[in-house]
Amino acid sequence: MKKIHSSRILFSAFLICSVAFSACHKSSSSTGDAVDFKTLEANVINEFTNKTALPQYDSLVKAATALNTAITNLSGSPTDDNLIAAQTAWKNVRTVWEQSEGFLIGPVESNDYDPNTDTWPTDYTQMDSLLTSGNPLGESDIQNLTQSLRGYHPVEYLLFRNGENQVRTASSFTQRQMQYLISLSADILDNNVSQLLQSWTSAPANYANAILTAGASGNTVYSSKLAFFLDIAGDNGMAGICNEVGQANADGKMYAPYSKRDSTITESPYSDNSLNDFRNNIIGAQNVYLGLNGGLGIKDLVAAKNKNLDNQIRAQFTAAINSFSNITERYEQAILDQRVQVQATMTAIQTLQSLLDNDLINFLKTNVQD
Amino acid sequence: MKKFYIISGLAVFVTAFTMCHKAGVFADSGYDDRMSGGAATVLDASSKAFGNRVDGLSARDESVHITGDATFSQTFVAPPSPIFTGLGPVYNNISCVNCHRNDAEGIPTAGFSNSGLLCRLSLPGQDSLGGPLAIPGFGTQLQDQAVIGASPEANVVITYTDLPVTYPDGTTVTLRSPSYTLKNPYTPLPGNYLLSPRLAPPLVGMGLLENIPEATILSFVDAGDANGDGITGKANYVYDSYTKRKELGRFGLKANTPTLLTQVAAAYQQDMGVTSYVNPEESALGQPQMSVIHGDTQPELADSLLNYVVYYVKTLAVPARRNVKDTVNLRGAALFNQVNCSGCHRPTIQTGVDLTLGPISNQRIHPYTDLLVHDMGEGLADNRPDYLATGSEWRTAPLWGIGLLSIANGTSYYLHDGRARTIEEAILWHGGEAANARQKFMQLGSSDRAALLQFLSSL
Repeated sequence: MKKIHSSRILFSAFLICSVAFSACHKSSSSTGDAVDFKTLEANVINEFTNKTALPQYDSLVKAATALNTAITNLSGSPTDDNLIAAQTAWKNVRTVWEQSEGFLIGPVESNDYDPNTDTWPTDYTQMDSLLTSGNPLGESDIQNLTQSLRGYHPVEYLLFRNGENQVRTASSFTQRQMQYLISLSADILDNNVSQLLQSWTSAPANYANAILTAGASGNTVYSSKLAFFLDIAGDNGMAGICNEVGQANADGKMYAPYSKRDSTITESPYSDNSLNDFRNNIIGAQNVYLGLNGGLGIKDLVAAKNKNLDNQIRAQFTAAINSFSNITERYEQAILDQRVQVQATMTAIQTLQSLLDNDLINFLKTNVQD
Repeated sequence: MKKFYIISGLAVFVTAFTMCHKAGVFADSGYDDRMSGGAATVLDASSKAFGNRVDGLSARDESVHITGDATFSQTFVAPPSPIFTGLGPVYNNISCVNCHRNDAEGIPTAGFSNSGLLCRLSLPGQDSLGGPLAIPGFGTQLQDQAVIGASPEANVVITYTDLPVTYPDGTTVTLRSPSYTLKNPYTPLPGNYLLSPRLAPPLVGMGLLENIPEATILSFVDAGDANGDGITGKANYVYDSYTKRKELGRFGLKANTPTLLTQVAAAYQQDMGVTSYVNPEESALGQPQMSVIHGDTQPELADSLLNYVVYYVKTLAVPARRNVKDTVNLRGAALFNQVNCSGCHRPTIQTGVDLTLGPISNQRIHPYTDLLVHDMGEGLADNRPDYLATGSEWRTAPLWGIGLLSIANGTSYYLHDGRARTIEEAILWHGGEAANARQKFMQLGSSDRAALLQFLSSL
């Protein structure tokens, strides 16, 4: 009996040991997860740079080249077909540019490529003065003009409007208007978007390298991987652009014209392209989250640890982007006629912004530890 | 029984005295050293660290701040325009944010779209109010940009020459010494003009600085140098174009502006050519180039928008210090006091009471300034007096946020015209009342110098 009893004790001890070791096993597995998560962080950084950001800027250079070519063709042969082609090329470059605003980090701001090309509003009093003056209109002259006389919106003004209120026809361009257009598009291409791409790929900035080496000693741009993730998730990245588009205050791109019922203060009023601008901004943020060209995105970090949050963010991106389809009129008109739909879209973007600014940022701060 | 009375009497005394004991301030250890702006501090060390609003604003005040923010970032265009009209005819830049990049400082170039340096001009002598004497056709500020059809008043040419400085331990640092010349004036400039370059400063904690009681600032003046540290300090009293009387100057690099309202309004008028209820006249009024603009309305900036921008600047939070418990930083902080940098860059000041704005009211802050002007020596002198500030006197620059400039601005610049590329260079330029402190800094060993610099980078 005694013997049996001790074997029972031994058996019980064995059981306890097994349970204890199983419990221990969990913690050793979580060390493995941590290593995997660090690898995942590095992979996300790598693929954001090489599959999302660089291809986006590369597309921007291609689209700006196409615009420059289309305007040169229009100048050589001012037909209505060539005018439509130039207008389409302008809309295409805007699509890529507005999507690239999903990550306004690094040289696009610090080297002023954003304000050089996307300053708003256009100063059409000065544009008219410039066109009626005898001032030279070469590319280098345009490069030295004030920012409100450079970039996408002066091109828009000239391609879509003849004067403040007349719709543009191909035959109505003056020689100086055409010269200004050619130099404007060359300035966008040569002095801005090409240099933007270059600043990511070569010295002195070599911004792609600064991202890829985030957290390495001596990296003065990103002292940690977390600093980089917070940058593309926060005010300079996804949350920032959602805030710019959707916030319900004077700084909101949708709200300002909506609240004042003022169609003159929309983003792209001459081409009726404002709604596309807004939508592409949100798509740009979604691209950062999901990753472009089959690459990893922030979603992969979130899904690895909190599938529920990942589902929420994805669903809210989809809801916000799809809600634009309910606004069927051009934005300049919709702020008067479709206020319910406009409000619904802003609300959806605000919900998304809050998810990114609070839940996603907290997730990153909690889980990214290097 | 007698004992009982004595003991009871003592107990009453003790209780009474305890009750009389007024709550004092805490010892230094009772405060969180990170909170440079007291309750108006924000824990943000990112590139947007200078652009946060203070906590605790009501929904309405928040909306005023945000509208001010939008206006601060807004590009202005030439008149006539239905929106954001009023730029020019001559100007320095087209929006506030073009110079105050990321709500921080400007780039020390002049005449480009991203330039943040402007030049004040005057003739020798004073005007009837004691201020700088305007140059006919130019005023007291050079506008180096113009709308199409007008000409910049002149172009500023900045050149630098190397100026090596050697420490007693043999280490050499090369400063760059600037020179400023004007070319292509639109009309002849008198030969005896005085020129003072000024770099757009960061907008940190302006509301807190405005809320320091005048008596506190005056208490820092040591006119006869009673403590013998070589530092005297002077309050600059300047004419306020809005209240129409002399006020204590707090803002501007020579403490030449008394309030945020006059500072912001003067920037709109002088830097952008945008008029307001405070400065209803164009900067170019009475000058030949006024005829270039037509269809202008006065004032160009709505009263509410000017007030909102002032409120925006007033309610910007101060970024918190980082690594305050780091032993090297603690050593650097001790050295900062030891070499008497703190003689002018006062670490701690108590703000006054402002019942309308809790976060800046009665706060213990760490601005590292005394808001006085001091003689800074020949090396930094602009030789252009500005009210009571002489040609070699400058206001003690607040140092809070100084360690984040390189993050907010990409490249950081220091001193009134951005000549210093590092904090170390800025220290080595100090002269005049700060000559002793510079000498003591130079005599420190290299690791102590590094500790002091690291401390400054944590601000």
